[in-house]
Amino acid sequence: MARRSALLFLGLASPAMLVCGWFEGFVPELSFVLLVMAFPAALIALAVARDGKLGPLCLPLLALTLMLEVCGIAMLLLRGQILEAPWFGGFPVAAAIQIYGLWLGPLLLVALAYGLTFDHWELREEDLRRFDARRNRSDGNTEG
Amino acid sequence: MTPPVNLSVVGSAVIYLALVTGVGIWAAGRTKSAKDFFIAGQKIGWIVTAFATMSAAFSGFVFMGGPGLMYRVGVASLFICIPVGFTSGFLCWVVGKRLRLLAGLREIYTVPDVILVRYGSRRASGLAAVAVIIGTIGYLGAQIQALGILIEMVFGTRAVLGQWSLPAAMILGCAVVVFYATAGGMVAGVYTDLFQGILMVAAAVAVFYYCLHSGGGLEAMSRSIVGSEVFGPSHLDPFGTLPVMTAVGFFFVFAVGLLGQPHMLHKFFMLSDPRALKWMPLVIGLTQSACVLIWLGIGLAVPALVAHGRMIALVNPDQAAPQFLLSFTPPILAGMVFAGVLAAIMSTADSFLNIGSAAIVRDLPKAFGRRVPNEFFWGRVAVVGIAGIAAVFAFLYQDLIALVGTFAFGTFAAALAPAVAIGLNWRRVTATAATASMATGMVVNLGLEFLSKQTFLDWLPSVSLKAGVLPAAVSLSASFTVLLFLTWLSPAETQPDLDPDVEFVMDL
Repeated sequence: MARRSALLFLGLASPAMLVCGWFEGFVPELSFVLLVMAFPAALIALAVARDGKLGPLCLPLLALTLMLEVCGIAMLLLRGQILEAPWFGGFPVAAAIQIYGLWLGPLLLVALAYGLTFDHWELREEDLRRFDARRNRSDGNTEG
Repeated sequence: MTPPVNLSVVGSAVIYLALVTGVGIWAAGRTKSAKDFFIAGQKIGWIVTAFATMSAAFSGFVFMGGPGLMYRVGVASLFICIPVGFTSGFLCWVVGKRLRLLAGLREIYTVPDVILVRYGSRRASGLAAVAVIIGTIGYLGAQIQALGILIEMVFGTRAVLGQWSLPAAMILGCAVVVFYATAGGMVAGVYTDLFQGILMVAAAVAVFYYCLHSGGGLEAMSRSIVGSEVFGPSHLDPFGTLPVMTAVGFFFVFAVGLLGQPHMLHKFFMLSDPRALKWMPLVIGLTQSACVLIWLGIGLAVPALVAHGRMIALVNPDQAAPQFLLSFTPPILAGMVFAGVLAAIMSTADSFLNIGSAAIVRDLPKAFGRRVPNEFFWGRVAVVGIAGIAAVFAFLYQDLIALVGTFAFGTFAAALAPAVAIGLNWRRVTATAATASMATGMVVNLGLEFLSKQTFLDWLPSVSLKAGVLPAAVSLSASFTVLLFLTWLSPAETQPDLDPDVEFVMDL
């Protein structure tokens, strides 16, 4: 399910992004932002799904997608309102969203999600045993 | 550019060049086979690999070009670098594990090797090799050019050598990189990258401190910029100075396009143990983010200082970093940063020398069904050859090589990212779809970039895309579209018979 959804999204998003480039105005810009921000999470979902499920990565991926989407939309809506908008963390809120929301927030979320789920989802002990067994069998086969 | 000849800067540069030469000599004794030469014997631990990945990814642009760009267009420029927040985990999830596992089962030293094993198609692999060679010449030429300009600036050679200054500086810089890349191959490459990476992080963090100190803190700098007549509120508006399509296009290309960068993917082949991937995203993400602090710090401090009248407005925005360093940081730190920039340029250059030589010695011959008898020896010869070609191009066609350098990232992204990232995660992708996707990515990117920017051939038509749409974003989207739709449209009987090792790795 997760893989199929990811592929469907990637298949629709790629040409849709091309189409966005042909038009001007708020709707194509918003559509482009929405598609771009969800694209990385779709690729990750395609790669990490096991039997169509995202397991412990479901929540971190959802959080990453929401974080990127909300930040993208917020920056777009706050465009041109630097003087009126409040400040946060040393910056006007739009720049703060860009720096803390798009850069530093995902840094901890993604790196920790990767490290903390690594042993029981990304590369499990049984995967490594199978890999080691296969490598031992295929030793000597060096034809690329 | 005024050469800031300064004893600390010269001393740091000399010490730095001596140290990397020393690493080359040390590594030469540890490089005994093609496997050592191309993938450091697949014996590299995770911290070294993480630093090597980080320093190879960042060229001198992050240290010099980035602050200059931020001076010119404000925080919109950050869309190029802020994807580092998540791209390290993204890279490891999407391709890292499978690349490393595949390299443990098969003799895989390069991205075209991966394409060959995955798709069983010499045509697809050959096309990938062509993309690697084109991108390598561009990237490498741009690095050699930047190296020459920096060495010329640090040592003030123009006053002594006149018109021969730049070629002499390029030859000196190139000779050092070629020496350690030829003698020690990737063993020298990764250990110099480790040293270079530590230097880059230390320099960037220290400079950020001085930026905060000289500007009075983040909020004081921001308020100065917003209130300034020269810069104004749009400077701190993420979509204030660039069209949304350009700014978000940068984010797309520099995040998703990372999946096609051979100098990044190559590092996964070297990792001694797949378990070591576990904390790599944290280390790569933190170190890359630390380096980006110099972009943010100088990018805020210089406009704020200009707004306060403590610096004069810059005629050339690329002077932002050198001017700040020489005026507002201790000489020893300025020297360390100039060495850090040398490090950033050289660490990128050595990766491309290795990748380019592998493309010539391994990938192209294999695409024609041949193997070069002594890859180790010819790999070394190819390093010298490819450096020479890139240096000659960089000197003779300075504008052209800068242009090619700027779109090399997009070429790699559009040509390789879909075929590698989707291909390693979806069995149905066929060799035909991968080949068509690579050809589309390469042709569209090179065509659009070249036609929109070239000024060498008057008779060629110019292409301008709407509302700041980036050619690299168009080509990357087009390449994904072609790969996905051709795969979906392929009849069931044309589904590929996967190599058993590839199938095994895709199952894990």
